[in-house]
Amino acid sequence: MTDAELVVRTRTGDPEAFGTLVSRYYDACWRFAYHMLGERADAEDVVQESFLRAYLAIARYDERDQFRGWLFRILTNQCRNALTSRGRRTRRFVQDDIALETAPAAPPGPATGMEDAALVRALAQLDPAQREALLLKYAEGLEYSEMSAMTGAGESALKMRVKRGSERLRVLLGRSLEDPPFGSSGEPSA
Amino acid sequence: MAENPDLTFEPMADDDVLVARMRASYRMLPAPSVAQIERCTRGVLASVAAGATEGSVAGAHGTSGTQGTRRSGGLLLRPQWWWGVAAAATLVVTVMRPWRGAETQRNADSAFAAGTAAALPVGSIRDEGDGEIRFDLTLPTAARAVAIVGDFNGWDETKTPMAKRGADGTWSVRVPLSPGRYSYAFVVDGREWLVDARAPQVPDAGFGPANAVIVDGAE
Repeated sequence: MTDAELVVRTRTGDPEAFGTLVSRYYDACWRFAYHMLGERADAEDVVQESFLRAYLAIARYDERDQFRGWLFRILTNQCRNALTSRGRRTRRFVQDDIALETAPAAPPGPATGMEDAALVRALAQLDPAQREALLLKYAEGLEYSEMSAMTGAGESALKMRVKRGSERLRVLLGRSLEDPPFGSSGEPSA
Repeated sequence: MAENPDLTFEPMADDDVLVARMRASYRMLPAPSVAQIERCTRGVLASVAAGATEGSVAGAHGTSGTQGTRRSGGLLLRPQWWWGVAAAATLVVTVMRPWRGAETQRNADSAFAAGTAAALPVGSIRDEGDGEIRFDLTLPTAARAVAIVGDFNGWDETKTPMAKRGADGTWSVRVPLSPGRYSYAFVVDGREWLVDARAPQVPDAGFGPANAVIVDGAE
């Protein structure tokens, strides 16, 4: 059954159709959210909230759009909001605003111990807009036009975020980029 | 950070290293568990049953984990919503039968363990080495048409039909796939949705049709 058919059935209140949409896209959403937020629990919260917002807004979904792109548009907004919320909560407990601005991002909690922890830590230290652009471009493999429709940013701005983000990531990863934990194929080295 | 909209983008030579590393990090995360997906679905349906609206969600937005609300599966639930949660739980148990997926998987596992795989539809994948992955599906019964659906074709059962090979009920198709991670399933005669029980990962058998996952694509 296509996404569009599942959406139609979800609109009529069919919970099984909605459950199928969740099972179809949970994996991709969770991976993106985890790399955006660096915390497993936060990623689960954000993905669930994104699906809730999608459910509530599904009457406005335009079937001419790809469902995945529409869902990711909600997801990227939720990730940004979670990061903003996290910043507000942190600021409340930090007396010295200057120290906050100059402090490196807190190291993210482990998801499973199997992911590339150095990369997740380095991503957490990027500007969130750069991190978002890098993940959409490199990990999700989107075109700049798709990214632009999803994020609302211009294509040139997105290209710059990818360029500057990748430059910064190279610096943060340092030697580990030259000697990555995985081979170029991404498989663990023997 | 100021962004110059006129600056030309020139990819750096080692961008492919970053791409490979990001995709590898994605792949190294295991597929989410059935329980994780069910928790998400139930949480959403419970919130909707409890009267959540776009406005109320917007009100709770940005306050995740703060005081005044209680977390349930990571979602914010106000105390007065619990009657709705109870109603939604009843709905899930009576209508959606969340144990059904686990039963399906157990049946498949036991059948394979007993060496009776020939009695079940058997899928397999093979890297053809030319940027294409070949998907095979052997069916124990006759079928008029078989298609493969997945992330790579927008889950559209009209886009990638499979061709019948020989008389043994095996259907095949070659799909060009760039390296990545894809969920997929088979659709028989336009109505029966089959999970590939021999796929490397089958993460989500909880609600409705299950999907298998191929990791790596043609890499």
